[in-house]
Amino acid sequence: MPDADLEQAVDALIGAAYGSAGERCMAISVAVAVGNVADKLVEKLAERAKALKIDTGTSDAAEMGPLVTRQHLDKVRGYVDLGVKEGAKLVVDGRGLKVKGYENGFFLGGCLFDQVKPDMTIYREEVFGPVLAITRVPDFESAVELVNKHEFGNGVSLFTRDGDCAREFATRIQIGMVGINVPIPVPMAFHSFGGWKRSLFGDHYAYGPEGVRFYTHLKTVTTRWPTGIRKGAEFIMPTMK
Amino acid sequence: MNKPLNQAAVLEELHHYIGGTEIAGSSGRYGDIYNPALGSVKARVPFATAAEVSAAVDAAQKAFPAWAATPPLRRARVMFRFKELLDAHADKLAAIVTSEHGKVLSDARGEVTRGIEVVEFACGIPQLLKGEYTEQVGTGVDSYSVRQPLGICAGITPFNFPVMVPMWMFPVAIACGNTFILKPSERDPSASLYLAQLLKEAGLPDGVFNVIHGDKIAVDALLNESRIAAVSFVGSTPIAEYIYRTGTASGKRVQALGGAKTIWS
Repeated sequence: MPDADLEQAVDALIGAAYGSAGERCMAISVAVAVGNVADKLVEKLAERAKALKIDTGTSDAAEMGPLVTRQHLDKVRGYVDLGVKEGAKLVVDGRGLKVKGYENGFFLGGCLFDQVKPDMTIYREEVFGPVLAITRVPDFESAVELVNKHEFGNGVSLFTRDGDCAREFATRIQIGMVGINVPIPVPMAFHSFGGWKRSLFGDHYAYGPEGVRFYTHLKTVTTRWPTGIRKGAEFIMPTMK
Repeated sequence: MNKPLNQAAVLEELHHYIGGTEIAGSSGRYGDIYNPALGSVKARVPFATAAEVSAAVDAAQKAFPAWAATPPLRRARVMFRFKELLDAHADKLAAIVTSEHGKVLSDARGEVTRGIEVVEFACGIPQLLKGEYTEQVGTGVDSYSVRQPLGICAGITPFNFPVMVPMWMFPVAIACGNTFILKPSERDPSASLYLAQLLKEAGLPDGVFNVIHGDKIAVDALLNESRIAAVSFVGSTPIAEYIYRTGTASGKRVQALGGAKTIWS
């Protein structure tokens, strides 16, 4: 939202988009810039995306390591090529990255797209790599509509200083895990993890109380105990009663 | 695990873990495990046959009655010991993740922590399994509800969180009294075997936790196995839908978490 703390939001976005090379189902893949915040946001993000420290995972200074396999690297790179072809503006291009001493490693630099439209492949599909897409919308209503129209419903975050806006968003958004000024709202172990729509098939979410329900059968026993021994001893033959 | 690769040397070969024993793969089919920073193969992982999956189910089935009958308090004590071992070996686990997945060590350490948190939750299983009781639902009639384990549960997990996602599943499943078969991602499967070792050290009886490696053949064998009661899956949406349809068609309880576009506005 235009009223968000921009520095804090940029920090959050960089970590959530490029941490673990974007190979998280809760990685931020699209940032919806509302109103006049887009230009400032893209400028700051570009600066940071270019400065990402990319090295082997074992290096202490590294913020991002390689992708998991060559095949996956090729797939993510293919998405970046496709984004360019479909007309999105590639503000930061990480495709040429080489890490010294690890020229055969599966590295891809951080990529940043601006002007991404909802009909583009990089908006619709899960890229699962260090690629952040900026989509611009005029106002809050169109942001909510855009998010709710997507076939997936795993995670979403809103950055704002306005409590009413945050509350309205949390109520109306059709997503399983919602963050308010929190970039990766993965629930803690005593809550449960799960998305809506085509992000989850089944009736129970993962871990937490939902996990306990998933991994157990419920059994309900209804009992009646007819009056028995507490009535005292009987001295006549039962057949005489 | 992290020794430098010598192409001339015989590659390290992973094993399945069935009934508390390391079992070499017999299919003759393997997958390569890469060190993604170097771009080179560091080990190879055997792909299970349907018969090997069946052997894991045999082991899990054999272990189930005694484990289900173990009081929740004692099952929790195994979890407490497991947690202590995880704390002690968290750096080792993180290093295994980084060597096969590629994420930076601090991030790998973070995922280990998120996994440990689920074990901490599972330590509370006596409280979580406490039932409900109503007196006098009718005159002289009482009613109570309890939660009982399902039997054999399976987990099929993705490459992106080789420690955290399996640990979303098996600590809760096992603490509830089930036995478990894990089919980790073939791209970074070593962490699962290390977890199996720690569980054994924590005192978990053999056969309660098993690891089978493989591809679609192993996955289909798990989905079609009538003795498996429930399947948990995390991965992409098309596969999640396939797992859900195939698993539920054979009467299983299924939770299949699919892909996502996380959106920020």
